[in-house]
Amino acid sequence: MKSLGHILKTYWKQFLSVISNELHAIFTDAGVLLVVVLAIFIYTTIYSCAYGTQVLRNVPLGVVDMCKTPESRALVSAIDSGPNTVVAYEPTSMAEAEEMFFAREIYGVVYIPSDYSKNIYAGMQANVSLYLDGSYLLMYRQAFQELVAGIGTTGAMVEVQRLMAKGTNAQLTKSTVQPVIYQTHNLFNPYLGYGSFVMPAIIMVIIQQTLLIGIGMIGGTWREQGLYDKLRPAGERRMATLPIVMGKAVTYLMVYALTLTVILNVLYRVFGFPINGRTIDLVAFLLPYLLSCIFMSIAVSTLFRHRESSLLLLLWTSIPVLLLSGASYPREAIPDWLYMLGQILPSSSGVEGFIHIRTMGASLGEVMPQVKLLWILTIVYGGLACIGIHAVTTGDLNERIRARVKSRMASLKVRIEGR
Amino acid sequence: MSGFFHNMLTSFRRELSHMVHHRMYRMLAIVLPVISFAFFAVMFDNGSIRKLPVAMLDQDDTPLSRKLSTMIGETPGVLIAYDISDMDEGERLMRKGVVSGIVQIPDGFEREIYGNEQTHVEAYISGANISVNGMLAKDIQTAVQTFTAGVQLTKLQAAGLTSYQAMAQIMPIRFSKHVISNPYLNYGYYLAPIFMFMMLMIFTVLTTVYAIGRELRYSTAGEWLDSASGDMTAALLGKTLPITMIMFILSQVMFLIMFRGVGVPLNGSFWVLLAGIVLFIVSYQAISVFIISVLGNLRLGLSIGGGYSVLAFTFSGLTFPIMAMYPVMQYLSKIFPFTYFTEIFIDQAMRGAPAVYSTMPIVCMAAFVVLPILVMPRLKRLATDSKYWGKL
Repeated sequence: MKSLGHILKTYWKQFLSVISNELHAIFTDAGVLLVVVLAIFIYTTIYSCAYGTQVLRNVPLGVVDMCKTPESRALVSAIDSGPNTVVAYEPTSMAEAEEMFFAREIYGVVYIPSDYSKNIYAGMQANVSLYLDGSYLLMYRQAFQELVAGIGTTGAMVEVQRLMAKGTNAQLTKSTVQPVIYQTHNLFNPYLGYGSFVMPAIIMVIIQQTLLIGIGMIGGTWREQGLYDKLRPAGERRMATLPIVMGKAVTYLMVYALTLTVILNVLYRVFGFPINGRTIDLVAFLLPYLLSCIFMSIAVSTLFRHRESSLLLLLWTSIPVLLLSGASYPREAIPDWLYMLGQILPSSSGVEGFIHIRTMGASLGEVMPQVKLLWILTIVYGGLACIGIHAVTTGDLNERIRARVKSRMASLKVRIEGR
Repeated sequence: MSGFFHNMLTSFRRELSHMVHHRMYRMLAIVLPVISFAFFAVMFDNGSIRKLPVAMLDQDDTPLSRKLSTMIGETPGVLIAYDISDMDEGERLMRKGVVSGIVQIPDGFEREIYGNEQTHVEAYISGANISVNGMLAKDIQTAVQTFTAGVQLTKLQAAGLTSYQAMAQIMPIRFSKHVISNPYLNYGYYLAPIFMFMMLMIFTVLTTVYAIGRELRYSTAGEWLDSASGDMTAALLGKTLPITMIMFILSQVMFLIMFRGVGVPLNGSFWVLLAGIVLFIVSYQAISVFIISVLGNLRLGLSIGGGYSVLAFTFSGLTFPIMAMYPVMQYLSKIFPFTYFTEIFIDQAMRGAPAVYSTMPIVCMAAFVVLPILVMPRLKRLATDSKYWGKL
C-alpha cells in the first residue's frame, strides 16, 4: 500500500518531467515551434499591416454633369471635398461612365441632369441619380454616406437661400431647415478602424487554432512513433494521466502567456489598437480561455495518428471558427442554432469577452457569462483530455500503437534497403 | 510522345490507387470540402437576420419623443431592447454586449420643436463591430431624417405651403439611388461564395502538397518516379491531374450550392467563370508544387502552403479594399491568384461585366503556371536522392 505522500511525490516528479519534455519537444521541433510560437507573430503582423491604414478614404467616383452651371459645380465640389470620396473622372456620358466602372477606375457614378439648375431656381425639386457598386460593401458605405452628406449640405444651402429670400428670420430659418440636429458618436473605435475591429477577434482565434494544430502535431508525432512511452518515469511500470495532462497544460500556459504579453503590449501599441479594461480583469479572463483551448487541444491531439494530421484536418476551420464567434459577421445574422453550437468552442466566448474587456473596457463582472462558460469548457475539455491521454498511454490502444509503429518501421526499412 | 503519355498514365493510375487506399485523401478531397461548403451555405442563410438591439434613453418622454422612438424601432435593423433612465445604465449594457447602441432624446425635445428652436438627438454606437455599426448608423439616421422631414412638412404646411411646395423646400435636391450588382446589399451573396473559394483553394493546396510531400516523407518518391519510367514531368502531371479533376468536380458542386442554394446572382458569363475556376485550381496547384519542391519537407510545405492560403482572403480586398492598403501591401496582394479570381467572380457573377474585362485577371492567374517549370530539376533531385526522404 503506497502512501498518499508517495503518490503525490511521484506525481510531482512526473509533472516536472512532462513539462521539461514538452518544452524540449516544442523548442527542438522546428515544425511545432513554427506553429506554436512563431505563427501567432507572423500572422498578426501580416494582418495588422494589411489593415494598417485602418480606414478607407477617397473612393474614386465619376460625375456625369449634364447641367454644367455654377449650381451643379457646387454639388460636384461638395462631393469631391469630402474625406471619403473623390471625383476621379467626369465622363461625358453614362456609357463612358459604365466603361470606367467596369475597368475599376471608378466605383460609383453621380448623374446630374441638365434641368438641375432650372428646377432649383423654379423652387422645385432637382433630381440627382446615384449609381453605386454594392459588391464592395465598405466602399459602398463610405461613398453613399459622403454623397448623402454632400447632397444634404448643398440642399440645405438652397433651402436657406430660399427662406432668406422670403424674409424669414435667422432663428426660424435654422429651426425650419434643421429642426433636429442629429449626431452619431462611435464608441470604443471612433474612426471605425478596420484593424481595431477585426484584429482582437483574429488574435483570439489564432491562439486557439495554433494550439489545436501545434499540440495536435506533437500528439500525432508521438502516436505515430510511440513516443508517449518517453513520459514514463524510470522505474515506474505505468504513467499516471493527471501529471501528463497538467504538465502539458502548464507548459502551453507559460508559452502563450509570454507570447500574449508581447502581442498585447507591443503589437497593440505599434498598430494603435484600442487598449481598455484593467489588466487584472484581462488576466483573469484569459486564464480560463487559454486553459479551455489547451485542454480541448490535448483531447483532440490524442485522435491524430500522424504528424501532419492536425494541420491537414484543422487548418480550414479557422475561418468558420472566426465567423461563429459573431465578432466579424454580426451574431444577429447567424442562424441561432449554429451560433449556439459554436459556443462549444472556447474561441466563441473568448473572442466576445476579450473584445468587451480590451476594446470596450468591460470589467470581469460584466463578462461573467463568458467567464463561466469558459470555466465549464475547461472542466469538460479537461476531462476529455484525461480520457484521451489515458487511452493513448495505457491499455489496448497503447499496445496497438506500439504494434503499428513497429510494423511501419519494419516496412520502411525494407523499402529503403530495397533501393 | 506516346511514351510520355504512357508514363503519365501509369503515374496517374498509381495516384488514383493511393487516393482510394488512403483515408486522408478522402477527407481532404471530398469529405471536408463538402462539409465546409455546406457550413457557409447555412451560415449565410438569409432567413435568419434578426434586428440589432439598442437602448433608448428618452429623457423627454413626450408624445413627440415617443413617436421618434417608435419610428427608430420600426426600421428593419433596429430593435429597441431596453428603455433606460440614465447613460451609465446604457454604457453598462453596451459593455456587457447586450446592446450595440444607445439613442438619447434630450429633455425639452418636444418643447423646442414646437417652439421653433433647434433641438438634437444623439446616437452612441459601438465601433467594436463595424458591420453592426454600419447597419445601426444607417437605420437610426434614416428614422431621424424621416421624423425631421415630418416636422418640417408640418411647419411649412402650417405656414401655408402646399405639400408639393413644402417637399421642394425641405429637400431641394432629391436623389434616386441605384445599387449596381448587389441591389439588396446582401453580405451573404458575396461572402458565402468567397469563403467557398477559400475552402476550395485551401484543400487544393493541402492535397497537392500532401500528395507530393508524402512521397518524400514516407520514402516512396523513388517508386513514384519509377512509375513514370523516370520522367519527372510525366510523373508530376500524372500526380496532379487527378487532384485537378477532383477539385474541378468539387467546384461544380460549389457552384451548384452557390447559385441554386444560396441564390447568388449570375449576371455575366458562366463560361468566363468556368475558365476562371479551372485556372484558379491549376494556379494554386502550381504554387503548391513550387512550395513543396523548394522546401522538400512535407510538414514545412504544409505549414507554409497552408499559411499562404489562409492569408489570401485578407488580400483580396473584399472586406477591406486593396486601394485603402499601404502600397507595399497592394503589391503583396498580387501574389495571390485568389485576388484575381475574386475579381473575375465579382465581374461575372455580380456586376455582369463584359467578358473582356476579365482578360487581365485570367492572364495573371495563368502566369503562375510557370512556377513548377522553374523547380523541375530540384523536384527530380528530391525524387531520386534518398537523403531527402523520410524527414519528419
